[in-house]
Amino acid sequence: MPRITVDDQQYEVAEGRTVLQALDDVGVLMNGVDIPHYCWHPKLSIDGSCRLCQVEIEGMPKLQIACNTPVKDGMVVRTQSDKVATARKSVMELLLINHPLDCPICDQAGECKLQDYAFDYGVEHARTDMPRRPAKKATELGPTIVFDQERCILCRRCVRFCREVPGTGELGVFDRGDSSLLELFPGSKLDNAYSMNVADICPVGALTTKDFRFKIRVWFLEDQPSVCNQCSTGCNVSAARANNKVYRYVARRNDAVNDTWICDHGRMSYREFAENRLTRARVGGADAAYDHAVNAAGEALRQVRERGGRVVGVATPFASNEDLWVLRKLLAQLGAEPARFAVPRGPADDILIRDEKCPNAAGARRLGFTESSEPVGRADLAIVLGHTTSCVALAGVENVISIDAHGSELTERAQIVLPARTHAEYEGSFTNWKGRAQRFVPLVEPTFEALPMGAALAQIAAAAGLEGWSEPYDPRRVSSELAGQVEAFAKASLAELGDQGVELPS
Amino acid sequence: MKPETRRKIEELYPLYPHKRGALLPAIYLVQEEHGYVSPEAARELAELFALKPVEVWEVLSFYNMFYTEPQGRHHVYVCTNLPCSLRGARTMLKGIEKHLGIHSGETTSDGRVTLGHEECLGSCGTAPMMRVDGRYCENLDLEKALRIVDELE
Amino acid sequence: MLTEPFVKKYLTEHYGDDAFHTLAGYERAGGFEGLKAAFTRKPDEVIDVVKQSGLRGRGGAGFGTGLKWSFMPKTSDRVKVLVCNGDESEPGSFKDRIIMERGPFQILEGLLIAAWATGAGKSYIYVRGEYKLPIERLRKAVAEMYVRGYLGRGVMGKKGFDHDIVVHSGAGAYICGEETGLLESLEGKKGQPRKKPPFPAQSGAFGLPTTVNNIETFAHVPYILARGVPWFRGFGTEKSPGTTIFGVSGHVERPGLFELPLGTPLSEIIQHAGGVRRGHSIKAVIPGGMSMPVLPPSQLDVKMAEEFLSERGTHLGTGGVMVMDDTTCLVRAMCVIGYFFRDESCGQCTQCREGTGWVHKICERIEAGRGRASDMDLLASIPGMMEGQTICAFADAAAWPLQAMLKHFRGEFEDHIVRGGCSFPESFEL
Repeated sequence: MPRITVDDQQYEVAEGRTVLQALDDVGVLMNGVDIPHYCWHPKLSIDGSCRLCQVEIEGMPKLQIACNTPVKDGMVVRTQSDKVATARKSVMELLLINHPLDCPICDQAGECKLQDYAFDYGVEHARTDMPRRPAKKATELGPTIVFDQERCILCRRCVRFCREVPGTGELGVFDRGDSSLLELFPGSKLDNAYSMNVADICPVGALTTKDFRFKIRVWFLEDQPSVCNQCSTGCNVSAARANNKVYRYVARRNDAVNDTWICDHGRMSYREFAENRLTRARVGGADAAYDHAVNAAGEALRQVRERGGRVVGVATPFASNEDLWVLRKLLAQLGAEPARFAVPRGPADDILIRDEKCPNAAGARRLGFTESSEPVGRADLAIVLGHTTSCVALAGVENVISIDAHGSELTERAQIVLPARTHAEYEGSFTNWKGRAQRFVPLVEPTFEALPMGAALAQIAAAAGLEGWSEPYDPRRVSSELAGQVEAFAKASLAELGDQGVELPS
Repeated sequence: MKPETRRKIEELYPLYPHKRGALLPAIYLVQEEHGYVSPEAARELAELFALKPVEVWEVLSFYNMFYTEPQGRHHVYVCTNLPCSLRGARTMLKGIEKHLGIHSGETTSDGRVTLGHEECLGSCGTAPMMRVDGRYCENLDLEKALRIVDELE
Repeated sequence: MLTEPFVKKYLTEHYGDDAFHTLAGYERAGGFEGLKAAFTRKPDEVIDVVKQSGLRGRGGAGFGTGLKWSFMPKTSDRVKVLVCNGDESEPGSFKDRIIMERGPFQILEGLLIAAWATGAGKSYIYVRGEYKLPIERLRKAVAEMYVRGYLGRGVMGKKGFDHDIVVHSGAGAYICGEETGLLESLEGKKGQPRKKPPFPAQSGAFGLPTTVNNIETFAHVPYILARGVPWFRGFGTEKSPGTTIFGVSGHVERPGLFELPLGTPLSEIIQHAGGVRRGHSIKAVIPGGMSMPVLPPSQLDVKMAEEFLSERGTHLGTGGVMVMDDTTCLVRAMCVIGYFFRDESCGQCTQCREGTGWVHKICERIEAGRGRASDMDLLASIPGMMEGQTICAFADAAAWPLQAMLKHFRGEFEDHIVRGGCSFPESFEL
């Protein structure tokens, strides 16, 4: 393993890596070792044209770009010397020659790498007042992206992304010299399932999303780590919250799951937190207080139990590992059969999108639930989480207790309805298709009464007079219990998961 | 693209280890048909070479001698680089502009001549000069240049 | 067709012979003696001969040809490629053109000798697209070689020595004269130079081991093999042996081509071209193609070889001498130069793309009479921002002319700013 010294600090790095890759591998790039850069991206091919990552390497007379210099044992790198500082100033000044002064109207402001590096490494005063080269302004690049051609600094990340990740290759750079422009083939659009990633990787405000346009200034946002719940990949996201609302998802890096990408559908799914929510509990078709509905549910359960009727538990692969564990415990205590669950499916690709359109089918399987969309048959009572099991399958059930975040045909038909929280509103974990347990954290607080599914189940159990449900619901306690009691969930307690998740034993 | 052109392009493939090496010659062949490459023709080229259409357009836009818009029947390009300018090339160009009634970069309204200027054409010892379609016209003065231009049909 | 050189030595000796560009004519004049001599030696020996000859590349960089050939891997399971750079687009340079037009077989013979020496199986001659006649001549020459059995399987009957040559046309982009820009263009892409590593000898044309040399470089090789190293070193200087074809243009009485030994004084070359225009005096001379730093009249005694020119802060480049007389407004000249680099930058590297644009815009503003006092320091600071920090040397080539202009003629720029206009009413028009 080669050893390199960067700014007098030694690092042991992997063979065959460039300086930037090696520093990224050991987690210090822009996190202890400052080598600002534009065109390089850890998940795209090497470009080498922005020239910002130039560093001094002992023994080499000219500055070298860190993104394309292979590491060698004994290499000595300096990133903060005067020569490097001057080079960075040059690049920053030259990038601003043709860049429009758009900050006041640009979405990127506050998370703009041009602003950031100009501030940290650039010159203090502009020496040019010449008109910028003319280019397109705020045009549609396709259904999802707004394009401001004037702002483009020609790092070509987006060009490489479209060619290398979705493979659709819509973008190119036309012409040459300072007439170079980022463009589409005449008459075409940027339209692929991953298009919005270009806004993530664009260092400036040349490519921004329509979805986020002019919504809020990023300095009002607070980012929290979460995961997408639209398929069994479980892409990692940063959810941005302000004003008790989630404003957007941005892809969050996880080299074991989604690299730095997320599909457009998943990225937009944060909207579900605010759409079509169940805000009132219901009993017998009429709005009711939450407590009242809980008690009604508990009473119904107690009665069925007393006369030895059939209780069926129906899970949803949208519930968390902890929610599902609570359901399993409850059904075991009732002596009922294992919970069943249905898995919604749809088209998949070989990039990130999987056919299981839910985040936690793997969790349900690991808990021994039965995967089935067959009719449940005759039953006295069904406790139903979510709405992935259809009304048709539940036609034989006399009394349906529905615990769900969103309205559906099922919640219309259920006898008792308890609003649940979305995964933006409580803490928990999902298990993705590869058996990786990944944590999500509460982002916002609902403005109406709603509980995590597991908490609602616990309250119903207590109301039904079952033993052992008196303690207030604590997701951490539940998850420790799960990790301790089920082999397949060892090491998956919420306290241990961190931001990158943990791979569970197979 | 005429089938004839397609055939000629396919004949070029074996000359290069990767097919794409034949792209520049192929573009010339397509240009021989209409004088320029339209988006449709670019799409056809993209298909032939297993490229994305935008990759073909990138190549078209990069090179001076590829045109993505209809051209005049004749190209008259005056070199205006330093050695030629020292010997009066730019004055000569202005004279041609006046004579044709168009500016450099434009085409006469009858579609006969597209006038332009180019960087060094490698004729510095015989300056001023111009490129007329595929040939060089050297050792010019305005009079000679206008005679040549007027003779173009 | 380009007029033959006014002064000839061994390279252009037969350029007045109308048949020299045909196979029969070339052989009559002694062609292929070099290749036959190469065949009597082992490939490694041929590389040694070329090394000993001291032949430097004639494309502008002056790198040792034999040394470059030795970078080609000795063994390879993939075909090795030679690329002949005929993209001659350096303003002031028109020598390769005449070799292609009048002496195409010199190039082909040189390529075959290189192929023998390096084990290359394939050559591409990349010629700039505007050179229609040179391309035609080369293609005809190649065709004649195939008919005669001098190309294809078993060149000249030598079993196991197969070689193919393809003449490939560029499409109008100066940057395709840059080694890796050429390779990109040859591969059917935009001619945007590549990062190094990897180097062409490891991964060049189509990823194959490749050696790139200039047209004129290949043309000298047959004479070295045929007549020997001592003979070759009898021309030129210790460090820069041989002749080169100098091009002289601009304000001289007899512009044209002159084959002269390297090391000939610049003033002598200008004399061959009839000296400066009658009634005028020399104001400035660019010695080696427009990228090379300009020289003031006091420096015209310099010997035209790289080792002497670099002492004076400039370079041989392609030996394209451009003479500017006392009528010339150098600010306008700088506008022409600045426009060229701005137009021809491939656009990848920040410093080059934006720097060339900025320089041109500032020069134009000064020329138009809207210069500011702060413009001088501003202009002077830009070359340093561009030099030595980009993927290829284009940014350096773009920076040097401005640097040199400001070093030797700063006063003229300042004057232009102060006066708000030009002091040279007879200067060429912009």
